Amino acid sequence: MLIRPRLNDAYNLPFTQEEVDFAIPFLDEDLPLSVDPFLLWKSPSQQDNALNTLVTNSFNHLGRLFLQGKEKVAIDMLIKASECYEVGLGDSRKRRGRPIGVNTAKSIFALYKDIPQINKAGFVHFEEIQLFVDNISKDRISDITCSFIKSHLIDYTIFQSKKLGIPRVKIKDVTVYDYKTNVFLKEDVDLPCNPDDGQPVILVPRRWLRYTPWINYDDYYAKYFIGKAALDNIKVSTRIELLDYNRHNYDIVQAYTGIKELKRQDCKNDPLFEPIPILSANKKFLTIKKLPTGKTGNADRAYEDNICQLMASLLYPQLDFAAVQSRTESGVLIRDLVFYNNNSHSFLKDIYDRFNCRQIVFELKNVKTIEREHINQLNRYLNDQFGNFGIIVTRNPIPNNIFQNTIDLWSGQRKCIIILSDIELALMCQLYKSKQRISLDVIKKKFVEFERACPG
Amino acid sequence: MKEKEIEIFRKLNGQLEGLYDEMSALSKKTPTDAINKFKLKFVNQLLLEINALLNDEYKPFTEFIKFEEDDLPTNSDVVLMLSQYLNCMEKLRDDNIALDDEGDWCWVINKKMSDIQTSPPKKI
Repeated sequence: MLIRPRLNDAYNLPFTQEEVDFAIPFLDEDLPLSVDPFLLWKSPSQQDNALNTLVTNSFNHLGRLFLQGKEKVAIDMLIKASECYEVGLGDSRKRRGRPIGVNTAKSIFALYKDIPQINKAGFVHFEEIQLFVDNISKDRISDITCSFIKSHLIDYTIFQSKKLGIPRVKIKDVTVYDYKTNVFLKEDVDLPCNPDDGQPVILVPRRWLRYTPWINYDDYYAKYFIGKAALDNIKVSTRIELLDYNRHNYDIVQAYTGIKELKRQDCKNDPLFEPIPILSANKKFLTIKKLPTGKTGNADRAYEDNICQLMASLLYPQLDFAAVQSRTESGVLIRDLVFYNNNSHSFLKDIYDRFNCRQIVFELKNVKTIEREHINQLNRYLNDQFGNFGIIVTRNPIPNNIFQNTIDLWSGQRKCIIILSDIELALMCQLYKSKQRISLDVIKKKFVEFERACPG
Repeated sequence: MKEKEIEIFRKLNGQLEGLYDEMSALSKKTPTDAINKFKLKFVNQLLLEINALLNDEYKPFTEFIKFEEDDLPTNSDVVLMLSQYLNCMEKLRDDNIALDDEGDWCWVINKKMSDIQTSPPKKI
């Protein structure tokens, strides 16, 4: 069983996040990112601009339906548009969110009645609804956007699947928005799916993704409204009061949106993972070096935290970081780092083929000396979940008898346990800084040394 | 030595000295940094050619042939070995040159004094 499996892990496809244009979705949970329609609006690509126009027009069309008295139709369509589980974006732990309720939909459509400017011309940036209606989260904006452009996203997913060899299956009754007739239709389409539960998966370009939308409530309140309120002596004490104030003072929201438009050059998509700067890596290593071994003053916890951040950056982009995992063995809490192995390097392909290593586990040990029991602990763990390859990260070089222990383990069970100490960590940091070689080469070096010591 | 070997020696020695100078400068700056694959490839290529010239008799270490890429050799490792090779090349030269009647240092080819001049031995 894999930890936080992604689409490519399920099908053993050898690509890393760095190598593909889309965000590789998790199969069991959502990616904590959202599609920001502002990124489509500001994009230099005409296609992205057109898609943003499609979303805004479609949203405003629902508003017009509501104003024309077709309230039920408009509400039903907005509820349908409010959840797009196939893209797997948001905060859900099960890749399934909930659509909005009828009351929230009514509150949104009330804006078309209550705000004269919206009544007359509709929204230019529909994500402004966050500033008028309670319980509209960033995920909701993302889901509505994805629902309206789902047809395009399906084409994009099919194109990427063909390019990368992602298997597709016929999925029946996928809800797709038809821009010509402005209705949601059901279509049968070939899409990748989660092999465990058969749920369809739609891919989304990375360039549209942000952790929070460019126009959002928190930014509006902290960076615009507080200053404005102080200047104009506006008295608003709660979030609900502010939303109500905004509804009655649309020009203020328009001014805020105008500023955000002017600052559009600063609006960038968020990377899924950003390695720490070299300076920070060096600082973290120095912190680690100063830490005592053992648990004095929670040194073990500090060691694990620093190693976690450091390793994820040092090994990027060859290894994508999967998760920090805690487990208890013999009454002791053990923390592991888990990385995906997608064969992005000849060494990684080698250990994938020889040790069935689909994910690499790093066990962290802030101890003075590694003992047999530590090796046995990782060995037992490898049995359960991972292939036959694992790494222990510790403070000091291991004694000869422990190294021999790892060799014996290879001789008896064909398992490989590599041990990295502060010395190897220093070398990895140095390579991270100098860029003369990649930090992964240090692990390969230890592996080669291990192999040379193996009998036969 | 044969005349052809002297030609090869002069070419390789020039390359070795150039590489040693470059690597020494790099090593002074970052001695413990790993040498990159591009440089290592050419260092190894040169060492293999020099090994063929020096034979076991003059090679600095019988077990050392070239650097292993997987061992992540550092700048100072490379400088150390290159300096050993420089000394051994000089030893080979020293054993194959002599003063002629006019007081110039010349190569000895097939145990006979040639007219190919060289610099005096460095007396390492």
